Amino acid sequence: MIFTRFTDRSRKSVEAALEEARMLGHDSLGDEDLLLGILRTDEGLAAEALYSLGVRLEGAREESEEMLSLALSSIGISLEEVRREAGDTFEMRIPEDRRIPLSPQAKKALVEARRRMRRMGDNYLGTEHVLLGILGNTDGMAVRMLAGMGVSPEVLEDRLFELRGRAAD
Amino acid sequence: MDEMTRTRVGGPEDPREGLEAVVALRRTLEALEAAQVENAFVAGWSWARIAEVLGVSKQAVHKKHAKRIRAKYPGRPPGRKGRDL
Repeated sequence: MIFTRFTDRSRKSVEAALEEARMLGHDSLGDEDLLLGILRTDEGLAAEALYSLGVRLEGAREESEEMLSLALSSIGISLEEVRREAGDTFEMRIPEDRRIPLSPQAKKALVEARRRMRRMGDNYLGTEHVLLGILGNTDGMAVRMLAGMGVSPEVLEDRLFELRGRAAD
Repeated sequence: MDEMTRTRVGGPEDPREGLEAVVALRRTLEALEAAQVENAFVAGWSWARIAEVLGVSKQAVHKKHAKRIRAKYPGRPPGRKGRDL
């Protein structure tokens, strides 16, 4: 239902987002995971725009982990120490038998993606629309993650339309 | 630094930071519980003993952890160690 009009690529990127969320221990799939999913799938306009601005999957994962670590240290907890104490069995990964729901922010991003698709006069929902939807959460995790990697939503959106214009030529 | 200028996480000036710390802690807690239950299992502890120390029912521990841990250590029976402590 939610995947109506999605292209193969954008659907793949949401499935990849789920895998990223699981790997990173995100008990709900956030808009930052949608971003990671686009990078992991590495196909389509959104991935191309991100890549051209120097955003890489590895760097984005590290940024996400860094945000978790910072949030913990803000209440006096060292993730490194927790990790050291627990030993090798400690991993953030969420077990396969646990379902990971979409977060409200991720839902909002996908709703916004559809709105952008319509406004752009497109009849397919591609990775570019998903990315624009993600950027619609102006103080969301994804936007802050991108800021941490030196990428502003404005520059990214411009690049996206530039690539789109070029593809249409 | 006096009391007024100290940054208070989750204080009225930035509830979001405080709430996000809760999320980070919840996720870390889940991972820590999974690791420590696995450690106890590897050390030969029974599900009953693990549950007792966690302060929850044996069923709860089993439901949450047994499948994952059994898949990781096939053929290893649940331990008996700690039963008579």
